[in-house]
Amino acid sequence: MNTLVAFFEKLGGEMLQRAYEHVYLVFLAMVIAIAIALPLGIYLTRSRWPKLASAVMGAAGIVQTVPSLALIAFIVLIFALAALPTIGTLPALVALVLYALLPILRNTYTSIRQVDPSVIEVATGMGMKPHQILFSIELPLSLPVIMAGIRISTVWTIGIATLCGLIGAGGLGDLIIKGLRSIQMDYLLAGTAPAAALALIFDWILSGLEKWLTPEGLRKNGGSKTAGA
Amino acid sequence: MIVFENVSKTFQEEVEAVCDLSMEVKDGETLVLLGTSGSGKTTTMKMVNRLIEPTDGRILVDQVDVAQQDPIRLRRNIGYAIQHIGLFPHMTVGENIAVVPKLLDWKKQTIGERVDKLLTMVGLQPDQFRDRFPVQLSGGQRQRVGVARALAADPPIVLMDEPFGALDPITREELQNEFIELESELKKTIIFVTHDVFEAVRMADRIALLDAGHLQQLAAPAELVEKPANEFVDQFLGQHRFQLSLLTRTVKTVLGEVAATAGEDKPAARDARLHAADSLIEALDTFKRTKESVLPVYERDKFLGNLEKNQLLDIITRVLGETEED
Repeated sequence: MNTLVAFFEKLGGEMLQRAYEHVYLVFLAMVIAIAIALPLGIYLTRSRWPKLASAVMGAAGIVQTVPSLALIAFIVLIFALAALPTIGTLPALVALVLYALLPILRNTYTSIRQVDPSVIEVATGMGMKPHQILFSIELPLSLPVIMAGIRISTVWTIGIATLCGLIGAGGLGDLIIKGLRSIQMDYLLAGTAPAAALALIFDWILSGLEKWLTPEGLRKNGGSKTAGA
Repeated sequence: MIVFENVSKTFQEEVEAVCDLSMEVKDGETLVLLGTSGSGKTTTMKMVNRLIEPTDGRILVDQVDVAQQDPIRLRRNIGYAIQHIGLFPHMTVGENIAVVPKLLDWKKQTIGERVDKLLTMVGLQPDQFRDRFPVQLSGGQRQRVGVARALAADPPIVLMDEPFGALDPITREELQNEFIELESELKKTIIFVTHDVFEAVRMADRIALLDAGHLQQLAAPAELVEKPANEFVDQFLGQHRFQLSLLTRTVKTVLGEVAATAGEDKPAARDARLHAADSLIEALDTFKRTKESVLPVYERDKFLGNLEKNQLLDIITRVLGETEED
């Protein structure tokens, strides 16, 4: 018990500070990733060139296959060549956004594509305009799957964001690296435990949101179609 | 009135779905487009509300070329119901029916009243069904909602693409009969697509039989069955000829043939009666159900004569003989 009190006295303040940085970084990355992936995914379902969709999806998939550590290293190198700042929030954010894109993009694209064509046809036949079909038919029907993509993306990003400590972007990774360099278990734990807790908490909150946003008529059907990833 | 003028549709410059089709659909009539898959019946229907644009020719709705009209406005004035229902699964029954009225900016209260009226019309209790979701309905109930939705904004024209196709035979016949009754009150101009020749004969004022994009015959059901225009029509009806004849011949025509014995009697004093417009199958059903041997035939409230069960059976046997000769 005393050790726990001592632990929090020593590291509690820094843990809170780092956790705040961590959440801030993840939040920013997710907002940007959603702002890119959602419209892009919608656009791809409407594109006249079906090959464009597979190309974009393929590119996002390749990014995902690069180990996260390597991706961060690449971005730092590219930033260095482009004379951009190689430490701090900016390169970290770029790496996180690139990583977060795919699940959202793929779930947006496939879920809209999977909307029953007869539903779209009847909506068209009833005289709905394309934007009305998108907003009142396709998006509500796809929302559970899109939300699943955002949830998966967020949980990954929380984990990957610990690596951003390497390039001075702050966050819980800072504590982990400190612990590694100085061989101190308490620092290591002070970084790892909150990161795991954050991942669980966000998973829980976002699955709640996912259920809440699922249209009632679909919920009774047994919930969302596919959970993604 | 809907007029097809030399309408053709070619897909991808090679597949000819509809070829030089000319015909008229009269106001208030139910025209059934009948054919196998690939006959061009659905394509023909979808060209009316411009879900498909013709390659050649034109289609006039009330003398105006549909190609000259804004497709969105055109579609909002044409009811549309399809197989596989196409109900929006995330909307309640009420919301589904309200889609077109909402698009047309009806007042909220008017929409509510209209939804309840339509639900009642298709045999669903508004209070019970208005707020349900499509997944909570049976197949038959969904199709009823589909029909109600197509009629929502009271369009003069309704397009129906196998609306009862996905149902079991009993529910299908039930819905067909209810729809025939409904239609006789509403007097809509209906284009109805089906591959089921029995459904066509039951529903149609006239049937347009299509094959590989070509119109083979356009005629009233009885004429189509009794006087096939060519070999294809003959073959299409094929082994169903006997049953179809029993469906298209009415008690009234039969009564003429047996009038010598039946015409001058007083009405056989029975609870049950036959209607002049009943088909022979319906008449047979009535005999079976009532276990009577003689039944009076009425046209509205006018007594036409009595028909004996044996006479009916004789005629049916004769029809069987006629259709087997072919």
